[in-house]
Amino acid sequence: MKITEILTADMVVPDMSGTTKSQVLRELAQPLANGHRELDLATITAVLAERERLGSTAIGDGIAIPHGKMPGVKQILGTFGRHRKGVDFESLDGKPTHLFFALIAPEDSTSLHLKALARVSRLFKDSTFRDRLMAARDAQEIYGLIVAEDARY
Amino acid sequence: MELLRPGPLPLLLVIIGALMITGAMLSSPSQRAGVPAVLGFLALGLIGGGLGLRESLFHSYSSYFNLGTVGLVLILFDGGLNTPTTLLNRGLLPASLLATVGVISSSALCAICGWMLGLPWKQAFLLGAIVAPTDAAAVFPILRGSGLQLKRRIAMTLELEAGLNDPVAVALTISLSQALAFRRPFSLAAATAIPVALMLGALIGILVGYSGRLLLQQARLFAGGLYPIMTIALALLAFGLAALLQGSGFLAVYVASLVLGNSRLPYHAGILRVHDATAWLSQIGLYLMLGSLPNPSELLAVAPAGIAVALFLALVARPISVALCLLPLRYPMSEIFYIGWVGLRGAIPIVLATYPVLIGAPGALSMFKVVFFIVLVSTLIPGATVRWLTAILGLQTDERPAPPAVLELVSTRVLTGAEIASFTIDQSSAACGARISDLPLPQESTLILLIRDSELIPPRGTTELRKDDHVYVLCRPEEKPLVHLIFGHPEED
Repeated sequence: MKITEILTADMVVPDMSGTTKSQVLRELAQPLANGHRELDLATITAVLAERERLGSTAIGDGIAIPHGKMPGVKQILGTFGRHRKGVDFESLDGKPTHLFFALIAPEDSTSLHLKALARVSRLFKDSTFRDRLMAARDAQEIYGLIVAEDARY
Repeated sequence: MELLRPGPLPLLLVIIGALMITGAMLSSPSQRAGVPAVLGFLALGLIGGGLGLRESLFHSYSSYFNLGTVGLVLILFDGGLNTPTTLLNRGLLPASLLATVGVISSSALCAICGWMLGLPWKQAFLLGAIVAPTDAAAVFPILRGSGLQLKRRIAMTLELEAGLNDPVAVALTISLSQALAFRRPFSLAAATAIPVALMLGALIGILVGYSGRLLLQQARLFAGGLYPIMTIALALLAFGLAALLQGSGFLAVYVASLVLGNSRLPYHAGILRVHDATAWLSQIGLYLMLGSLPNPSELLAVAPAGIAVALFLALVARPISVALCLLPLRYPMSEIFYIGWVGLRGAIPIVLATYPVLIGAPGALSMFKVVFFIVLVSTLIPGATVRWLTAILGLQTDERPAPPAVLELVSTRVLTGAEIASFTIDQSSAACGARISDLPLPQESTLILLIRDSELIPPRGTTELRKDDHVYVLCRPEEKPLVHLIFGHPEED
């Protein structure tokens, strides 16, 4: 699975400003609701928040991968968000979270959903890549960096 | 009754055995009914007292005090062993405030109440100091029995408070009792000795904790059963050493157990089991003692005053003191109210109340009976209401209660390498509905056990994970992030 199958350039939010978990999830859900008329902003946010209840998806190193399953979705959809200031997302290492990759999956594609999760988490392993994402000028450059990094595997 | 008088050991053992069995069995059905087991223990104690337990086992208040102190040491030690330091960081400040400012303020408020009821000032203050400390061991069984999970921050604050608030109350009780008994004025020097005693206690606790850990890790003991013997010994040592040096023994015990509980020890699971049992034994024993001490007829005489002080403590003194400590820390009102409400009194006041009797402080005997009522009322009111209060204030967490089975590795060696974590599969977890072979587990992680309802299922690639399944995953510490991402939050953290 390629990240380009999940993420398109218009799904990148280069400057998030939310200061709470729910604000951040809403900011991540926004481009999905804009790009897909059949999806409702509040429902997407609720699906992501539901998974956060189980335990934070902020896996440390400034990365979080909020995700969830949603009826009415036909394929796996992703959004990427960058928070320059960092936000308290109850991460495993207790540090602020800067980079967010949210995933919304159809209800019946458990296996693909898991593959996407693994793929995304591996994408962010490299610390120099994370630094470059933080330094990127705009959404276009961020998207280019993600596509290039993904192509390495 | 002649036969039951001191002497025949077999009969005595029959009585104690029967009381203990009844006591242990009381703890579960009474929780479901919402009435804490404590009441049952007290009633059993009264029966035991009538059967001659008083005369044959506890010859004097000094044996009460000594046995009671050992019991408290074991209860505190067990509490500390089970407190993870990750949560300690967050709860330490509020709990320390409650254990110092809170104890002093609720003692003072209680003293005013006692004074208004006709007690001389010194006695009133002594009563306040005796009943100030709370007891987490009284709260948690009720919550666990009801299947409610209290928010972490509140649970931690209550538990740490109970662990830390004995020392100040003990120091106050001792100096006030001595002032009363020896007709000395209560000197400021005694009050300034308290912080010194606390620091010394903490220091010795750290010392015993760390050297005990080293000892346990280096020693190659002959049998697993000897490891808990070592930890019990460390508990006694911590208390004794601190007390010999005029430090706070209780604080030393609690600190030592925090250090040991957060270390990787050989035979860890076994040690925890034994301390769980000794804490229960102490708990039941202390309540039986309290119940067996006074004569029921004498109790009735102090009932009005006792109930008045108890109600004042539960409804006024405790809530005000808690608000005083937690408002500056910006706790939400609902949490302040809750912590104020569930300040259950348990074993500590019982032991403390024997001290003034022991050294012959005037009015001490009736004070002991008053304490009986305070433990009773402070258990009845919050105890019976704690469950719906938790629900009404919305303070329970969404985390799942414990699984039907717990997998533990028991070894007399310190085990290193991978760790075992358990998860409940939730509807919203990415793993729900997945086949095990589809899980993108990291290289060195394996799903080792699946528990569905009460069935143990060998996990195979084709096994599908369902909602509410419990899974055990063996993984390397550095692989935890991805494992947590797949399953959610582990159960025991």
